[in-house]
Amino acid sequence: MATTVVPETPDTPRIPESGERAPVFSVRDLWKVFGPKADRIPGSAEAELSAGELRARTGCTAAVREVSFDVQPGEVFVVMGLSGSGKSTLVRCLTRLIEPTSGTLKIDGEDVLAMDKARLRDLRRHRAAMVFQHFGLLPHRSVLDNVAYGLEIQGVGKAERRAKAAEVVEKVGLTGLERRRPGQLSGGQQQRVGLARALAVDPEVLLFDEPFSALDPLIRRDMQEEVIRLHHEEGRTMVFITHDLSEALRLGDRIMLMRDGGIVQLGTPEEIVGSPADDYVRDFVRDVPREQVLTVRRAMRPATSDEQDGGPALAPGTTVADAIEAVARTGGPARVVDGGRCLGVVDHACLLSVVAGLDGKEVAAA
Amino acid sequence: MSATTTRPSTDPATEPAAGGTAPDETRPSPLSAVVRSRAARKLAVLVVIAAVLVPLAHAKWASGSWPGALTVDVSEPLGKASDWIIDNRDSHWIFLYFFGHISNAVIICVRVVYVVLLTLGWAGVTAASTLLAWRVAGVRVAVTTLVSFAVCGLLGMWVPTMQTLALMAVAVTASVVIGGLLGLAGGLSERAFRALRPILDTMQVLPAFAYLLPVVLIFGIGVPGAVLATVIYAAPPMARLTALGLRGADAGVLEAVASLGATWRQRLLSARLPLARKELLLGVNQTIMMALSMAVIASVIGGGGLGDRVYQALSSVDVGKALAAGLPIVLLAVVMDRTTASAGERLGEPPAEDGHRLLRGWPAWAGVGVITVVVALIGRLAGSQTWPTGWAIPIEEPVNQFKDWMVDHLYTGVPVVGGTAEWASDYVKWILDPLREGLQGLPWYAVLLIVATLAWLIGTWATALTATAAMAAIGVLGVWEPSMDTLSQVLAAVFVTLVLGFAIGIAAARSTRLERLLRPVLDVCQTMPQFVYLIPVVALFGVGRAPAAAAAIVYALPAVIRITTQGLRNVDPAALESARSLGATQGQQLRQVQLPLARPALLLAVNQGVVLVLAVVIIGGLVGSGALGYDVVFGLAQGDLATGLVAGAAIVCLGLMLDRVTQPTSRRDRKGA
Repeated sequence: MATTVVPETPDTPRIPESGERAPVFSVRDLWKVFGPKADRIPGSAEAELSAGELRARTGCTAAVREVSFDVQPGEVFVVMGLSGSGKSTLVRCLTRLIEPTSGTLKIDGEDVLAMDKARLRDLRRHRAAMVFQHFGLLPHRSVLDNVAYGLEIQGVGKAERRAKAAEVVEKVGLTGLERRRPGQLSGGQQQRVGLARALAVDPEVLLFDEPFSALDPLIRRDMQEEVIRLHHEEGRTMVFITHDLSEALRLGDRIMLMRDGGIVQLGTPEEIVGSPADDYVRDFVRDVPREQVLTVRRAMRPATSDEQDGGPALAPGTTVADAIEAVARTGGPARVVDGGRCLGVVDHACLLSVVAGLDGKEVAAA
Repeated sequence: MSATTTRPSTDPATEPAAGGTAPDETRPSPLSAVVRSRAARKLAVLVVIAAVLVPLAHAKWASGSWPGALTVDVSEPLGKASDWIIDNRDSHWIFLYFFGHISNAVIICVRVVYVVLLTLGWAGVTAASTLLAWRVAGVRVAVTTLVSFAVCGLLGMWVPTMQTLALMAVAVTASVVIGGLLGLAGGLSERAFRALRPILDTMQVLPAFAYLLPVVLIFGIGVPGAVLATVIYAAPPMARLTALGLRGADAGVLEAVASLGATWRQRLLSARLPLARKELLLGVNQTIMMALSMAVIASVIGGGGLGDRVYQALSSVDVGKALAAGLPIVLLAVVMDRTTASAGERLGEPPAEDGHRLLRGWPAWAGVGVITVVVALIGRLAGSQTWPTGWAIPIEEPVNQFKDWMVDHLYTGVPVVGGTAEWASDYVKWILDPLREGLQGLPWYAVLLIVATLAWLIGTWATALTATAAMAAIGVLGVWEPSMDTLSQVLAAVFVTLVLGFAIGIAAARSTRLERLLRPVLDVCQTMPQFVYLIPVVALFGVGRAPAAAAAIVYALPAVIRITTQGLRNVDPAALESARSLGATQGQQLRQVQLPLARPALLLAVNQGVVLVLAVVIIGGLVGSGALGYDVVFGLAQGDLATGLVAGAAIVCLGLMLDRVTQPTSRRDRKGA
């Protein structure tokens, strides 16, 4: 198991399109402790205590404990955990909406914790925009003025900001509702306004704090697709907080699983589902349809010489579910091909063992 | 920045607390049940205290009334102080350079507004008010405004109405500005809020009369004093609501605004204040209503205007004249309340899309201005600035004739029900007199003990201490007897108010039709200034303690009914439904579900009832109810400020005590108190 899972070492992920660029956010040993004399906890003997003991001993709650990770440019970085796991506190620490207790935090190599008020304001205005669970819209302003609000704060002139806002409103599909008030919109529409407001300032990073938890399932699905579409179109870096595993798997390039303020596992959806770091994660991903997350890269076995050039070809990123379809159609094994090179083959047995959850043990045994 | 680390003030010294609880909590025994009951524990402590102190007090100062040995005669120093102020009013620097300037500024402001109103003329004022009401509150309120101003003119009260309006305009502006600034401080700073809150809370429960004397002491009788008393009385609700509105702003919105990089000022101007705009407008509404109420009462210290007419008429028991001046007050109250209230309701709605574009935005406001000027010019060209004398309809004579008829036919000898005068004398003879004798006969320490017990059972030891100290202060000031007199009037009136109020409230909560019938009546009643309630009761009951009680009951009843009805209606429908599903009868539902669950509301109703009744019982001093209210009026009329000030202080103490004794755990904002 240890051969495939690399928890808490954030430097070996598979990152789409950008190999060498410096991380957008670089977080090291970040702590956030609430309570009396909170600054004494990190690094002290109490730091090792469990949440309950810590509270009993010191009256403090460690919402974020010793968290380190990097967010790479262009990726969707999902922080996932149950309520109380510290994920919302963590995302607020990124722009210091909540002041971290200790640790280092850099954006594009610049130390966020050392910023003065003006620099910090600049960071919030131009570099990182946030979308909130409960929208946080101004009820007395029209949709258009809400979207333009971030620009207004930056001091952009009325005509210019309204033009920009109108553009973004169209992008998120709210055309025709510009003059409504937030109170007249449905939840999904309100969150689109929230999204548009964040997009309007053209930030480097978008931070989402459980943006769709307050929406009903169908709307949630719509909004997730909206986010995927936006990510495809613009390639903007996103940090996405959620407590919904299926949402995390659908959106995330990488997922960081948190529990009691600490990281449990950090990896691609496939790593999380295929190689859970511990029983907690295993329990968590138990009901996930594995064939829809795991890929043939994981399911394949080395090809025998006569299999090298027969049968259908699949890309290594193909999900097992799609591979099953291909294999079932032809009846024989399918090749996994990357750039013309055959990496291996998948047949009925490989695919079924992934679906049955036997693959991890196989790897461990091997 | 919003991102400060939270540092609760508790010390981490409470280490093993988590481990040592709970094992013995599951063993029930009758004794431990008694010990565990908080009320029982409090009573036990009080019994112990009483057992020690009462014999001591009885041995040393045994008397029904407050012992003379324990009083401090403050009238002499107070008299000296007031003499000094009167002597130095024109020479000492603090008057010349501070109070003098305030006083002059107030006079100038009122004069300017009054001149503007006169220049506009009756036509201009009516047009301006009507158009203003139409712009901010809609057509219906505009029509009400038009009719109201016309009636003021028709009653021949145009000039006093304008005087009151001018005084109001200045006082309300000052109150809104001062209250708004205080509220801003309280809304933005935790420390300021904690300092302000108890003061504002207390100021809200004090009767208007208590504010008059200190102001008179410094500013003398006249318009400046009247305006300042009004400001002091009317600014607290503005401050309270501003602070509460700012603090109650949606934290999520504020966080979102901060996350976009807003500066402190941007956050205040673009988010916090707009988010609090409903509360701000409600604050303005309440300030206006309180200012009107006080501006009328301030006629006692030379405020002039409509209140003065009522005051003069009441002192000669001329009901016709009082009514002619009282009606405009009521109309002004209704117009102002409706205008500001509907403006508040409209705030939440999006701007109207319909209508011509000239009817929206600044063109409409410009139109209002132009029309007003044109109408004012036409009015001036056509005739007089004040209401044409020929158009007045005198109602004094017919009203007085009707009142004489009532005196002849309703006061006594009505078959079966008796007459109003008989009711009044019965009320005094069978309820007020025994109660007063009882309170005055009761040993003073017994009264203190009762107060302490009640306050402690309802609140905390701090409230008990405040209440007892306030009561003791009354004794120390040497006005125990009149205070007991006032207290007896309050208690009797509160009792009647609560019986009637709860009965009607319960009935209204059960019958939607009754509630719908009551609502407009309650609306009007709650907007009327306390002062005008004295007019009808004097007509019905003559002068004395009974009419004061009647006015107090009528004044307090709407609030009690409303709170009771709302409390019962707001009971969790799920709880009621489950009771019904178990087959509870209507009576069982009421007794076992609704009343217990509505207990906080009922307690609040009691508190409100007490506070409102006290306010009017004190004003009753103007129609012969005697006691503390009379002392204040007497002090003002005779220039004997020492007597008045002592009575005023006693009123403050009494108000404080009554509020603390009935104070429910959570307070609510209320109207017209």
